[in-house]
Amino acid sequence: MLRLRFHGRGGQGAKVASRVLGTAAFLDGYNAQDFPLYGAERRGAPITAFTRISRDDIMERGLVSDPDIVIVMDETLLSDPQAMPLSGLKKGGIVFVNTPLSPLETKEEYGIEDHVITLDITKVSLDMIGKSVLSSLAAGVASRIAGIGEEALKGALEKELSGIISDRDLLGKNTEAALYCYNTLVPVQVKTAETIREKENVITLPFETARVSSPAINATGNTPLRRTGNWRVFRPVWNYDICTRCMTCVSRCPEGCIRLNEDGYPYADYDNCKGCLVCAEECPVKAITKVREIHSRSEEGDQ
Amino acid sequence: MGKEMLTGNSAAAWGVRLAEVDYIPAYPITPQTEIIETIAKWISDGSMDASFVTMDSEHSMITAAGAASATGARTFTTTSSQGLLYGFEMIYTVAGWRVPLVMVNVSRGLSSPITLGPDHNDILAVRDSGFLQIHCETCQEVLDSVLMAYRLAEDERVLLPVMVNMDGFYLSFTREAVEIPDVEKVRSFLPEYRPEHAFFKAARPMAQGVAVLGGDYYSYFKYQMHLASQNALEIYKEVCDDFERIFGRKYEVIDEYMMEDAEYILVMTNSFSTLGKAAVKRAREDGVKAGLLRPRFLRPFPESEIKNALKGKKAVAVIDQNISVGKGGIIYSEMAGCLYNEIDRPLLLSFIGGLGGKNISQKEFEFIFEKMISASDTGIVEPPSLLYTESELEGITKLKEIAGKE
Ligand code: SF4
Ligand code: SF4
Repeated sequence: MLRLRFHGRGGQGAKVASRVLGTAAFLDGYNAQDFPLYGAERRGAPITAFTRISRDDIMERGLVSDPDIVIVMDETLLSDPQAMPLSGLKKGGIVFVNTPLSPLETKEEYGIEDHVITLDITKVSLDMIGKSVLSSLAAGVASRIAGIGEEALKGALEKELSGIISDRDLLGKNTEAALYCYNTLVPVQVKTAETIREKENVITLPFETARVSSPAINATGNTPLRRTGNWRVFRPVWNYDICTRCMTCVSRCPEGCIRLNEDGYPYADYDNCKGCLVCAEECPVKAITKVREIHSRSEEGDQ
Repeated sequence: MGKEMLTGNSAAAWGVRLAEVDYIPAYPITPQTEIIETIAKWISDGSMDASFVTMDSEHSMITAAGAASATGARTFTTTSSQGLLYGFEMIYTVAGWRVPLVMVNVSRGLSSPITLGPDHNDILAVRDSGFLQIHCETCQEVLDSVLMAYRLAEDERVLLPVMVNMDGFYLSFTREAVEIPDVEKVRSFLPEYRPEHAFFKAARPMAQGVAVLGGDYYSYFKYQMHLASQNALEIYKEVCDDFERIFGRKYEVIDEYMMEDAEYILVMTNSFSTLGKAAVKRAREDGVKAGLLRPRFLRPFPESEIKNALKGKKAVAVIDQNISVGKGGIIYSEMAGCLYNEIDRPLLLSFIGGLGGKNISQKEFEFIFEKMISASDTGIVEPPSLLYTESELEGITKLKEIAGKE
């Protein structure tokens, strides 16, 4: 059985990617199961989705805690203490990372020892679809790595995307982009061993007083420690030659993360700016431009 | 129609669509929302013909569902967790009306703490209401059970509402291949509902769920519900025979896995039974004569089938995905009650596992089999315990530190 785990940010399409792969495997004659984990999160929060593919009956349910293949749709998740995309990856497993870096650079940058495959699917998406929606592309990548046939992938894209994209043209572009990713990657052999789980000893849970054991948080907030600005695809950049200091962007930013410098010009706190570009949209003189974010080479963000 | 990849939620929606339900009052709650979203979409695009009304709460929703059902309309509704509890008062009331409402509950752990993961305290909280309870392991079973639930509920020998239960996430959002039955075949299995009595019409005034103000009357009506509920087991068998004849899939009140020559039995319900079955298979490879018994019904409780299946077995471990705080596993108590008068009864062990969707690992299943074997060797049964691992304890310790508790 192949077990895949997708890691993305809410809104990027991890759930749809896992479904396209599930359907592709199903159309290719396998037993398949797919399953997303989400519900209480907001856009941009780390989410996971899973696909199991097997010739035999699938006698598993729930989370994939020991994947053979991990698909990282947003490379900033690699340094996110909550997402931990590499946890439980089996020996001999494969990590795909959406990054402009080469596999070797990615391994060094993030200290990954496993087999790494990379492709800047955000760029592919921007070039071929015109915006950054990664679901079909990630499904193309995953299908290639999992060894699913191209026809099955095409069928699955049609089936899964036609329900959510009504624009035929956009659907076509998505399919094209997915197949581009599929064909760009060289087929690989996934050779994983069964996992040996340590520390699975069953224990007796001791009694602890309510002061410790009730579900309350006694510590003060730790959100300042958790930068939320690391999921930008684009960052807003200000041009002070045009800016009239009208404050429109400041008041429109849904994150309240635009501050003023000594001269009264606005600047973003990039640790928390999510790159929604409401500011750029609202600026009456178009003094804000969007610049593609390349996280691994940027100075800011979650480092 | 062939097989499709469906979530448990969309499988439920398909069941409702194929049952040609007339009326659906709805109120959203995670992880159930996809069921009503799917139905609402079908109604708006014309592929399903039913009245759909969004209500202001689960309490109103269940009231409306019961009332509509009392007019003879085939009615469906669905909820989960806290939503079910919010409608709890009306659950008893509607059951007492003896109306054939079918409701899907998508199990989710109850607050607090708040979680979205599944366990069965929600559905077991309404265990004694009079609703029949069918518990499902797979998405296919969800679809099929919705169809069978209408047959059961509408049978004059039963005429009680039915809840079909599935686990949140592990079924509700999990897609697997599901055979979608053909509409014509469904019509031959489940004909249009034509109530013979107990339904309102403008030309036929009546009162339902009336005040009786006396224990002797009250006892009569309550016990009649009990008898009707017990009838359902026999009638379910008829329904299953019809179902198998028409659709080729076989169901029974209990699901038995590798039980024939088994000595050490796991008792589980719902979707985690799949994990239990995998554990049984592995235990067999290690030479342990393992088996699994899964009651599909918790109400009515299939006592005689369970007694039969467990006759002469060495040990039985009940894995409760619920906790009656201050007592322990609810199904364990039910099993103990069921087996108490049996002369040839197996040893009964109790484990609480999978609360809030916590995984039950291979190691935990191995632990359970070890405990069963040592109990049957020594005759000593250890007290009930929670399945919890060292690494899970480490995780919670870390969380407590972050929360400022040491
Ligand atoms: S991109 Fe969005 S979050 Fe960032 S500064 Fe502009 S408005 Fe604020
Ligand atoms: S909205 Fe545009 S012009 Fe106004 S302060 Fe912001 S950047 Fe400057």
